[in-house]
Amino acid sequence: MTLLEEVARLEQEARERISKADSLASLKEARIYYLGRKGPLTAILKSVKDLPVDQRRQVGAEANKCRVQLEAEFTEAEKKFSDTAPRQLIDPTLPGTAKRLGARHLITQVLDEMCAIFHGMGFEIAGGPDIETDYYNFTALNFPPDHPARDMQDTFFVEGDRLLRTHTTPVQVRVLEKQKPPIKIITPGKCFRNEAISSRAHVAFHQVDGFLIDEGVTMADLKGVLVAFCKAFFGEGLKLKFRPSFFPFTEPSAEVDIQCFLCSGAGCQVCKQSGWLEILGCGMIHPNVLANTGHDPEKYTGLAWGIGVERPAMLKYRINDIRLFFNNDLRFLRQFI
Amino acid sequence: MKLSYQWLKELSGVDWPPEEMGDRLTLAGTACEYVTPTAEYMRDAIVGHVLELGPIEGADKIKKAIVDTGADKLEIVCGAPNVAAGQKVAFAGVGAKLVDDFVIRKVRIRGVESSGMICSERELGMSDDHSGIIVLDDDAPVGAKLVDYLDYDDYILTFELTPNRGDSMSAIGVARDLVALTSKKLRRPQFELIETSTPASGSVKVTIENLEDCPRYAARIIRNVRVGRSPWWLRKRLLACGMRPISNIVDITNFVMLECGHPLHAFDLDRFGSDEVVVRSARDGEKFTTLDGQEHTLDPQVLLITNGKEGVAAGGVMGGLDSEVEDDTTSILLEAAYFNPSMIRKSRRKLGIVTESSSRFEKGTDPNGIEYAINRAAFLMQELCGGEVEKGIVDCYPSRIEKKVIDFRPERCNKVLGSNYTTERMKQILSDLELTVEGDGPLKVTVPTFRPDLEKEIDLIEEVVRIEGFDSIDDAVHTIGPLYTRIRPEDVFADDTRAVLTGCGFDEMLDHGLTHSKLAALFNPDLPQVKILNPVSEELDIMRNSLIPTALVAVGHNIAHRVVDVCLFELGKVFFAGQANDDWREEERLVLAVTGNSPQNWREKARPYDFYDLTGALERLAEHFRWPQFSYKPEKAPFLDEKLSCRLMLDRRGVGWIGRVDDEKARRLGIKQPVMIAELSVDGLIDTRAKALGFEPLAVYPAAPRDIAIVVDDRVPAGDIIESVKKAAGELAETVEIFDLYTGSQIEKGKKSIALSIIYRSQTGSLSNDQVDEMQKKVAADLEKNFNAEIRDK
Ligand SMILES: [Zn+2]
Repeated sequence: MTLLEEVARLEQEARERISKADSLASLKEARIYYLGRKGPLTAILKSVKDLPVDQRRQVGAEANKCRVQLEAEFTEAEKKFSDTAPRQLIDPTLPGTAKRLGARHLITQVLDEMCAIFHGMGFEIAGGPDIETDYYNFTALNFPPDHPARDMQDTFFVEGDRLLRTHTTPVQVRVLEKQKPPIKIITPGKCFRNEAISSRAHVAFHQVDGFLIDEGVTMADLKGVLVAFCKAFFGEGLKLKFRPSFFPFTEPSAEVDIQCFLCSGAGCQVCKQSGWLEILGCGMIHPNVLANTGHDPEKYTGLAWGIGVERPAMLKYRINDIRLFFNNDLRFLRQFI
Repeated sequence: MKLSYQWLKELSGVDWPPEEMGDRLTLAGTACEYVTPTAEYMRDAIVGHVLELGPIEGADKIKKAIVDTGADKLEIVCGAPNVAAGQKVAFAGVGAKLVDDFVIRKVRIRGVESSGMICSERELGMSDDHSGIIVLDDDAPVGAKLVDYLDYDDYILTFELTPNRGDSMSAIGVARDLVALTSKKLRRPQFELIETSTPASGSVKVTIENLEDCPRYAARIIRNVRVGRSPWWLRKRLLACGMRPISNIVDITNFVMLECGHPLHAFDLDRFGSDEVVVRSARDGEKFTTLDGQEHTLDPQVLLITNGKEGVAAGGVMGGLDSEVEDDTTSILLEAAYFNPSMIRKSRRKLGIVTESSSRFEKGTDPNGIEYAINRAAFLMQELCGGEVEKGIVDCYPSRIEKKVIDFRPERCNKVLGSNYTTERMKQILSDLELTVEGDGPLKVTVPTFRPDLEKEIDLIEEVVRIEGFDSIDDAVHTIGPLYTRIRPEDVFADDTRAVLTGCGFDEMLDHGLTHSKLAALFNPDLPQVKILNPVSEELDIMRNSLIPTALVAVGHNIAHRVVDVCLFELGKVFFAGQANDDWREEERLVLAVTGNSPQNWREKARPYDFYDLTGALERLAEHFRWPQFSYKPEKAPFLDEKLSCRLMLDRRGVGWIGRVDDEKARRLGIKQPVMIAELSVDGLIDTRAKALGFEPLAVYPAAPRDIAIVVDDRVPAGDIIESVKKAAGELAETVEIFDLYTGSQIEKGKKSIALSIIYRSQTGSLSNDQVDEMQKKVAADLEKNFNAEIRDK
């Protein structure tokens, strides 16, 4: 690069710095950098005397012109920050003093968000006890006694022949005992699994189960509801994959994978390079469940799903340890005000 | 379960690449989790020929071998005990990549330069066996690529099957799905069994005493077998299914189980102890040693296979040590039985053993698949072990388990799925799955006994959609259900409570609800507890009966992490056990806890959180929900400091407790600073907002503010003073507030000065000065009378 080109480049670079400057301090810093005694332009001017005679004049003139020009532009730009601002009565940069807000627990926030989405689709909330009987948690949901399906859900048993519900689906049975279709319910709440506590598993977690029972409800409706939910919760434009699976209380049953929203399906650490994330289980309510609660499975069909809260929350907020949800560490809780 | 890709390809005729095969099966509900190549670490190995073997000076464990690689004759140091001159071996030269990505380099050992390695199965990633090098057949072509010579280019498909799919616990089972996905034909293995003229019924009798748990027991007798190593094709297949080859007899039973899904057991007939098989429930306290050497004490949940005297196998779970096939075994009693899945589940839980057999029996095997399994294994023993198969199966199967017939309505299928499959397509899928489809209109579908999971029409509907794929169904919502969506008062309550309390600066905590019985008893010694019978740890052995201990654990956690200013609340359940069904109670409660100092900024100094931070928040809640005012009645709670312990009253009803946590108890949780806590039951409060809704008309007439300051005994409660003022001023007092409170050197000891601001206002007209002065006098007189108050600045 010739010195002339170097001067032109410096001039252009300095102009960019001027136009992008967002404070007086940054302008001053730039002025010192380009025009100061140790700056590149000064260096060029100093070196003019060592140049061949035929170049001295031209380079000297150009560099000097550039310096004068930039001086003027810096001065002009600095005015924008210093001269035009009216003097303030007080120091507006002191921190504001409104009372500090507390934070809702992140699980509450995610649970509420999920419920709001389903509420918008016309689902009402129903609840039930955390301590359940075998009947509501398993038998009425078509888990045969001594069937390996029971091993899918490690259960805590309590005295009095009871257990801690392993999912919120027992509420489905309780609702079906009392209401007639059409029924459109979500059952958010806490569930328990007898698992060793680790970064990936805890003794308790939250679920938002839901179901819709009416004449003519189809698997297409199920897909429709879940596709709409995933759009609302995870964002538009993500593909879903329905894989056949097995839950005693639904038939057909499916597990749903969503295209990883972190890498858009390209594969990353979170989705273990697969491009997909497992997020929920669903299916058509098993006719036995309807019959067990006195509904005619020929007349009515139902769709149902169960989605955890912790896992989607972990995915969405990139939380790597499920124990953080129950530690109640304020350094964690207060990040989600 | 692991299966060989090549095997599945052979049985199904489907030639999708391995990854695609796994994906397609997963999308059909036969979940394939991983696909791993078998030969990844064998690619660089070749067939070598050990030309010479000689000692190395000063070393007795290692030897020097000259290996012919076809291209070169290389010097190799080898330490394997079974290496010998003349052997054909698996050889990896310099640069070859072996298991764990180990790359071979030229090394000098004891002065010998070694340019490669003679490999064991472990080094080639075939198994964990590194007891010796692999010795190949003598006709192996020197220099050939080992993977080609062994025909070992395969993939292991690892399946995670759902518990209903017992039918897919085998190569034929998975191949059946592949066939259905492609409408090909299953290629079942063909074989011809040759029996001797000796009837097996002369060698063994079978009696089943417990037919419910064992509806069928079949046996064959195979004589004159030679126990030894299985041929390579069999070992290769087992390796590619993740199974370790043991001996030909055991390998055959494993192979047949992997092939058709039916577990078999081979007893050494000479060690069996009798010539009869008696199947019965174990007796209480009966002892039995399984072939892993473990002694078990049984109970009737375990089904025992006996020789009429003692147990020889825990039926369907594991064989016994004494009748195991050994190297010198010559006569085999081959068992193929059908066990009740729920018995197997109880039995294997009792024994604490899960085996390949038990997990298949537990998911349900095919009671009528026994002939195939036992004949296939007998045939292989005949072919591979030189066995002579005695005539006939000794088969005890008194009541045959029949195939089910299910009505299937194609239109119902489309109605449930929201699909529009043709009847032809549905028929084809069901037939491809080896179900028999007959009739028109409602189809009569005969379900073979290998599909015990198919019980109803809906199960067949699932089969159809599983094979056709969920992508064949639209995701359109046609049903809308009810249009009016109610919001439950408890959800409104919870949401509003969180809004108010976070607005007051409280952070929400959430506990899992399990806690330690000792901790709960420390705070509430008299409260009953709900015990967990199978706790995950000693510290989580009950359901909590109060929100206070868990809140204090959270406070303690934060203090331990040097966050000492804490302001927490939780809405959560507490649990109480009862005798009768309706005695069991779950109560929704609210807990508030504060400790440390309030936040400070350049304008306001920090101050210690105290009692009034709690009552302030409670009063904001009361204001929001339009509850009556809370009051605080001094009373000792077991977890509070006697000097600051109040019952929390609302409408003269006790709803909870408020006060300062007992220091000693707090210290047990590592908390050495004062903590204020309040806990209240909110179940009764949820509905009150609706009742209280109403509106005060805006005032028309002007207000008359007046102040009054008094000095009273320090012990007079401020609440009583406010009440007295309100009573004296009656309806004309719009608000009464304390705006100053003073104790100290300016006034007499034991006294306090309180300044109140009263706003008088009438709804019916302007108040005159005289009227207001009259009121003030009355207020002052009452205060003097009630509290012996001295009125200041009259
Ligand atoms: Zn990803």
